[in-house]
Amino acid sequence: MEIIVTSPWTPLEWIEAHGLEPRGVWGLPACDRHALAEGVCAFAQRLRALAGTPSSQPMIFTTACDQMRRAADAAAEETATKVFLFNLPATWKTPAARRLYHQEVKRLGRFLERLGGRAPDAAGLWSVMRDHDRRRQAERARASLEKAGRTASRGAPLALVGGPALPGQPNLCELIEAAGGTVALNAAEPGERGLLPPLPGPQTGRADPGDPFAILCDHYFDHIIDVFQRPNSRLYEWLGPRLTERRVRGLVLWVQVGCDLWRAEAMSLREAFGLPVLVLESTETGGGFAARDLNRLSAFIESLR
Amino acid sequence: MTSPPRQLTLEEWDRRHADLLTQGLREPPYGGRLSRHVETEGDLRLRHLRFDNSAAALRLWNFLLTENQRLRAARQKGERLVGAMKDLGTVPVMAYALPGLRAFYPDGAWWTPCLMECSDRLLQLAGTLGADDSFCPVRAMLGAFHTQEHFPEPDLLICSAGAVCDDFSAIAARLERMGRDILWWEMPRRRQPEEDEPACLLPGGLSAPQAQVDCAREELERIAGALGGLAGCHLDAPRLQAGIQAANAVRGALQALRQTVFTAPGGPLPALEMQIAEMLAIHFCSDRQESLGALSDLLAEVRRRVQAGQFAIGPEAVRVYWVNPVADLRAMNVLESCGGRLCGSDFMFTHALDPIPEDLPGFEALARTALADPMTGPALDRGQRLVTECRQNRIEAVVISRIPGASHCAWEGASLRELVASHTGLPVVELEVPPVCDALLPTVRTRLEALMETARARRARSKPGPAA
Repeated sequence: MEIIVTSPWTPLEWIEAHGLEPRGVWGLPACDRHALAEGVCAFAQRLRALAGTPSSQPMIFTTACDQMRRAADAAAEETATKVFLFNLPATWKTPAARRLYHQEVKRLGRFLERLGGRAPDAAGLWSVMRDHDRRRQAERARASLEKAGRTASRGAPLALVGGPALPGQPNLCELIEAAGGTVALNAAEPGERGLLPPLPGPQTGRADPGDPFAILCDHYFDHIIDVFQRPNSRLYEWLGPRLTERRVRGLVLWVQVGCDLWRAEAMSLREAFGLPVLVLESTETGGGFAARDLNRLSAFIESLR
Repeated sequence: MTSPPRQLTLEEWDRRHADLLTQGLREPPYGGRLSRHVETEGDLRLRHLRFDNSAAALRLWNFLLTENQRLRAARQKGERLVGAMKDLGTVPVMAYALPGLRAFYPDGAWWTPCLMECSDRLLQLAGTLGADDSFCPVRAMLGAFHTQEHFPEPDLLICSAGAVCDDFSAIAARLERMGRDILWWEMPRRRQPEEDEPACLLPGGLSAPQAQVDCAREELERIAGALGGLAGCHLDAPRLQAGIQAANAVRGALQALRQTVFTAPGGPLPALEMQIAEMLAIHFCSDRQESLGALSDLLAEVRRRVQAGQFAIGPEAVRVYWVNPVADLRAMNVLESCGGRLCGSDFMFTHALDPIPEDLPGFEALARTALADPMTGPALDRGQRLVTECRQNRIEAVVISRIPGASHCAWEGASLRELVASHTGLPVVELEVPPVCDALLPTVRTRLEALMETARARRARSKPGPAA
């Protein structure tokens, strides 16, 4: 059974170790467009719409933002889809927040068992964790190769920062490259920002690598890099060295219409890194990209050359 | 000194104030003519409001409109100021339990553009600071922090995070990036306990998993440590218990006021004063003892009026439940001019109205109260309280007031409307109220009048017909 995951901060390993198949919402085929209700985030509405499709699989929402929480409520109340709302702590410096994350992963396990999953033993969980770790390592290597290729290209190096892109929405990397830029850093979703560093356990070489559940939870909890965190300094600390190392000359901030959290960062990003920021806002839940925005993107890149 | 209830203009109030003084009115130090707030503070909106004519209402308004002066005076006396943000009702209970601390909500700046009819330019300033008009009017807080004219700079800023609205979270993060240190604390998103999961009851009749209460409690204990550090005095159990009892005295007075006003045959106190009175519960308008005094005066006045059968709003008015605070206070006057009467309300802080349990350890009680915040859980929970209160208060119509740009309003309006309609059959209208709603008044009036018309028609249909 597939389980639809809507945030990079839900441990995919935990789902897979339960014998279920996690699938990121970003890779799903586009579904029908819906007119946006006033003020509703396009991504949140899209998830609600997805839950309403007859073939929808169980979905894991998170509390990363108010809109997602409310989309989860709407999906749970108004559709037949099984919905799990994962309480992602916004704070990250306290034992209380860490414990909350651990508890939520445990609660997710009970949800998965109700769906027919089976609780993994330590060896089984380790095995899945190591496999994901290898896949992430390959992903990082691929990203590194791509980065090298992009650095060699003559386009203005840009960072794409922001929230999730939806199926049916334009491929921003391609658009940026078509306009003469190069995506030297993809910090949108999915992207490098959601790529966890190597697991600590398998590399220690100890006979007893420890409790895989606790290691998995801590690994995710300690490496969430996202706009919803309070304080959100991790996001800036993560971006800073990468922008410098990749000689980024401008930021493209991708914001779903109705998303307050990313939109509010535009000025802070500008101030923190001293780089020009172009805010591109999705205009609808799917489909095209306004010609006006293409012109803005082209002009932005032209001005950076 | 008493006279039949009536709603007065600002000019009329000045004349009445002079009359009251000649009759021997004794005012607190912050008392005086209401119109002076227009002259000295630029509270231009007062010129377009209608006020209740009681001395108790005068005290309420003067108390509300002198908060900035009160905070500055406290600072001069050496008291430490705590800027509590977002939780609406929890952190101030702890702060006021400690000597030498005063807590207030910088969030309250969201009403400054209304009061000053945007002459403060806080919203425009917020736009230049990174929060444009796609955000809710609470963005005025950014401007207020920048100008430092509307409240003094707090010594400690505390903000709840997690299950809060996106606008506020984003604006507070921006404030932090602008150089303010913020002590964040986690507010879990309230959920129903699962089968076999240890759970507990919350004020207001909700329940939550004990694990969530434990999380909130631990966070509040951490906040208490910071407050204690600021006060130079540990917030121990007896102090906290005394603080909870004092907060409950204010909540009790407010509950009695609501009960008396909402269940009276007519409206003994107008909607505008009721909304202001409710606001006192969240941080006592920076003076806990005085807020109790102001509420006690109001309660005595409405009891006297009810006993005398004197009402500011006639018994024929439609009994309305109002959801969400209005960015423009004038909207509450408009409700009455359209034939409505406030008989129930959820201004987003119902958890600050319910008594804090006194039979539990203090932090456990506060954590449960914080988790009962209507904005931390699903709209369904909020709607169920709404439905219950509609039935208790014999409500005839519901107004869901949208806050421009607010993340929760985008989703909850439809859920609440559907829930109310399916459980009670009451007519519901949604309307958006910007900080100065003058330009939208025709629309607001039309929608409210249509709602009243529908409610009156239902009332007429429900009356037994003449015997055949």
